[in-house]
Amino acid sequence: MANVTVNVNGETRTASVPPETTLLALLRDSFNLTGAKLGCDVGDCGACTVLVDGAAVNACLMLAVQADGRDVLTIEGLATMDRLHPIQKAFEDHGALQCGFCGPGVILSAKALLDESPDPTSQQIRDALAGNLCRCTGYTKMIAAIQFAARALRGEPVDKPA
Amino acid sequence: MRAFEVVAARDSRHAVALLAEHAPSVKVLAGGTDLLVELKSSSHVPAVIIDISRARDLKTIAITDEGLSIGALVTHAEIMRSPIIGEMFPALVDAAHTIGAVQTRNLGTLGGNLVTGVPSMDSGPTLIALDARITIVGPAGRRQMPLAEFFLGPRKTVLKPDELLAEVVIPKENLGKPTQFLKFGLRRGQALALVNVAASLWVERGQVCVRPRIALGAVAPTVIRALKAEAYLEGRTITPEAMAEAGRISVGEAKPITDFRASAEYRRDLIAVLTKRALEGAYARALAKPVEA
Repeated sequence: MANVTVNVNGETRTASVPPETTLLALLRDSFNLTGAKLGCDVGDCGACTVLVDGAAVNACLMLAVQADGRDVLTIEGLATMDRLHPIQKAFEDHGALQCGFCGPGVILSAKALLDESPDPTSQQIRDALAGNLCRCTGYTKMIAAIQFAARALRGEPVDKPA
Repeated sequence: MRAFEVVAARDSRHAVALLAEHAPSVKVLAGGTDLLVELKSSSHVPAVIIDISRARDLKTIAITDEGLSIGALVTHAEIMRSPIIGEMFPALVDAAHTIGAVQTRNLGTLGGNLVTGVPSMDSGPTLIALDARITIVGPAGRRQMPLAEFFLGPRKTVLKPDELLAEVVIPKENLGKPTQFLKFGLRRGQALALVNVAASLWVERGQVCVRPRIALGAVAPTVIRALKAEAYLEGRTITPEAMAEAGRISVGEAKPITDFRASAEYRRDLIAVLTKRALEGAYARALAKPVEA
């Protein structure tokens, strides 16, 4: 067994897991954080996207031991009890998700993008979402929601979408 | 996934010691974007995985006496962000950008892309077009060889089970050499190349092609050089016709296959078009930023 200590969503968590455990399995099964989804399990769909030290990664392609001592942000770390994160709020207001399975990954990919590029072009957003597959709503509303959230996060006045 | 043991290497020297200790039932884990997929689907997993992802000495990008050294553990995202690489070799940035998607590029490493050795690798052509050499470390010490000689076939390289790919070096004489990389995939993201091409060249007297290199991926068991096309261009005045002819010659040097992504015929057409465009791109870069040949 391997002992793994990770700072998850600002909280230090420890678990003892078999060495072959992925970061995704650690989050879902040991920490009960089921926001990151198990989709393809081979790094194609992006449903398991989380941020490790601020960078978007597929949690299914990282071993839990590789995350030892690092900062992990999952979708559970974005909202507070009172308030959705501005990206989540924008997705809700724009109807950017339908079934929602891809949502946690898409929103975290968007967060990584906006942390680095507060005013991204539509092409930069498309590039940032290339590793996140959505099979119901499509991407148009997501892109609009991310542009909307970017304005909100920059502190610019935003009108609620019609 | 089947059970295995994971041992973390502090640096490359430690990794070599661990490899010697655990070979042959051992595999090196760098970014994991290929290895974990393989381990999940395979019934033969090694007993020990050596995790080198924290070996800092394999993560440097630096100009040395030999040229530009890129550590094997440098990720594709780090290549895209490197000011040195962006300045000298925008083609390497372009190539890194075509790999997988953001998530893959944040984990996946240059060394991993090369060691995995798939014929459609996007890191290979640009480096081979720049005569890159690699440094391998193992129980017998260090050895260097041209990257082009590293590949033996699909997923086969000369690397022995107790050896580690440590760095890629673009030789000093090629620093800043005008280069263009082009990839044709079926989508912008998460797509393997149907064909990828890199071309590099120096230009003398405003129009004479010197030391051209053309490297093609996904059209043979390994990345290949289009040697006849290079010979055709050497010393020749660069014209649109000459570049198109070099593209046509390149087709004859490849052995593309038909698979579910594309037919061999389609790939042959792509080789001619992409080679011509890669040469045009390299030539445009040469004219935009003249460097002494």
